[in-house]
Amino acid sequence: MTNHMRIRVMIVSFAACLLVVLNVSAQQRIVSLNGAVTEIVCALGFERSLVGVDVTSTYPAAMKEVTKVGHNRNISAEPVLALQPDLILATDNFIQASVIDQFKAVGVKTVQMKQEFSVAGTKKLITDVAAALNVPEKGAALIRQLDKEQKTLHVKAQPKKVLFIYARGAGTMMVAGKETPLDKIISLAGAQNAANGFNDFKPLTPEALVTANPDVILMFEDGLKSMGGVDGLLKVQGVAQTNAGKQKKVITMDGQLLTGFGPRVIQAVQELSVKLN
Amino acid sequence: MNIANLKRVSSITLLSMLLIIVILVATGTGAMHMSPMQVLAILLGKTGIHLPVAYEENMPGVLWMIRLPRVVLSVLIGAGLGLAGASLQGLFRNPLADPGLIGVSSGASMAAVVMIIVQNALPVFQHAPILNYYALNMAAFAGAVITTLVIFHVARTGGQAVISTLLLAGIAVRALCESVVGLMTYLANNEQLRSISFWSLGSLGGASWQTVGGVAPFILIPLIMLPRLAPALNLMALGEREAMHSGVRIPRLKALLVVLATMAVAAGVAVAGIIGFIGLIVPHMVRQFTGPDYRSLIPGAALSGAVLLTVADLLSRTIVAPAELPVGIITAIIGAPFFLWLIIKEKRTILA
Repeated sequence: MTNHMRIRVMIVSFAACLLVVLNVSAQQRIVSLNGAVTEIVCALGFERSLVGVDVTSTYPAAMKEVTKVGHNRNISAEPVLALQPDLILATDNFIQASVIDQFKAVGVKTVQMKQEFSVAGTKKLITDVAAALNVPEKGAALIRQLDKEQKTLHVKAQPKKVLFIYARGAGTMMVAGKETPLDKIISLAGAQNAANGFNDFKPLTPEALVTANPDVILMFEDGLKSMGGVDGLLKVQGVAQTNAGKQKKVITMDGQLLTGFGPRVIQAVQELSVKLN
Repeated sequence: MNIANLKRVSSITLLSMLLIIVILVATGTGAMHMSPMQVLAILLGKTGIHLPVAYEENMPGVLWMIRLPRVVLSVLIGAGLGLAGASLQGLFRNPLADPGLIGVSSGASMAAVVMIIVQNALPVFQHAPILNYYALNMAAFAGAVITTLVIFHVARTGGQAVISTLLLAGIAVRALCESVVGLMTYLANNEQLRSISFWSLGSLGGASWQTVGGVAPFILIPLIMLPRLAPALNLMALGEREAMHSGVRIPRLKALLVVLATMAVAAGVAVAGIIGFIGLIVPHMVRQFTGPDYRSLIPGAALSGAVLLTVADLLSRTIVAPAELPVGIITAIIGAPFFLWLIIKEKRTILA
């Protein structure tokens, strides 16, 4: 082999190495626009690849350091694309179709997944995210772990009526009806939703509250805080007249844990069921 | 060239230059940072001229597919609102007239809100996703046009619309539209409520070349036609009878003005929602510089409307980045105090 040839081989192999490195570093910049998807991405070991998340992505704690691209219902395309992502992950329940079209028009790989609020839905979401990240086997492992957790889960059915109140101060109070993640998780925890006459969220009215007469009021931790704690909540018209109000039975949970339906869904069911007892 | 003409040409030239500067700044500013040279290099790159400027791989995509259509759309819609405002103030011979008076925005919002509520219930839309996608825009456009026609028809007596009746009919139909919006808001669920409020505050967020293509003809036709009506509007300013004696065909002029103004506003409202105040304040602003001559007022209002909405949209997407502020809020925040200032100033000159 002449010197000349040797140099040539070196250059070619260097270029090949560079190509491999580039290929590996491709798909290293991910933006997730859903809290549950973010949890799954992290659980699959891609935490360091996340360069942007929406405001519902509050778990794991490291997500506090990641750039926030806005509220998941009000995402605009450019701030997301400014992070130079190779992959955008979103669910189909919030983001506007025109924004998804803009992502695709620019040619960034965008995967939109269906989110169903059930344990099976979580497993499906894990499969979808793992497929988008090209690590189906890791997804399968995560699902097996979830199955294992599910086997150890003991939920005691209890005839308690639970009312979820979403609060951002006394002015904004909504209750969760059917077809909401809260309705689903309350039934998974063995209790029943006190507000079952309607779908979606509805503004809270004192009469409806007394009629529903919940045994337990369920709130997000920061939601109860915004009301000034249990005492503040009891001042809301109607609350004191319910069973829950009379016995001061108010329980709180972390919002993303309670409604996320991510990999921690079993943990959430367990925690809620314990708190209900 | 006499002095009036010179003044007209120079104010139009000045405004055109301002618009070009605003377009350049707006195109270069956004969440993704690009230097003016990079913007230039990317745009020239499209025409095959390659400048020795480095830019990142996804910059051309963002610039070309997201930012540029948005800037072009804001220029078009702003121009349409300014145009319509100036011509309607001429039609009503009242500086307080704006496109809202002939029911464009209330009709559009009524139709759009009704569409938001019924969309999920109608089986047609589930079978044709494409239809679903444009349903809101089409409904808003149809609502704007139909409402205006209804108002115009109600106001017509003996072949032509009496201006005072047109105003009254406008008030009545608008009240009706607003109550329907109220009813729909009451019926809406959480998600729909969000869409309604989002829509009624206006946004240029979903802009694409497709929307630009859809809006452009509706604004370009009035942009060409309305300045031709300027001499007739100048005569109208003297009074309807005086104009008629000077050979202006009043009924035809009124009909043309309403149709063209509706076109210019309705298409914009259909894709961007309600954007307030531009149609009202822009003609005032321009009148300060050009005087009451419609030959300069109409093109001036189109140019200034474009400038103002482009600036407002630039603010809307940068002030609270990464989130976006609805552009209707910004135009109102800029517009209302400015309007007050104009009133106070005019009051002083009258008293002096």
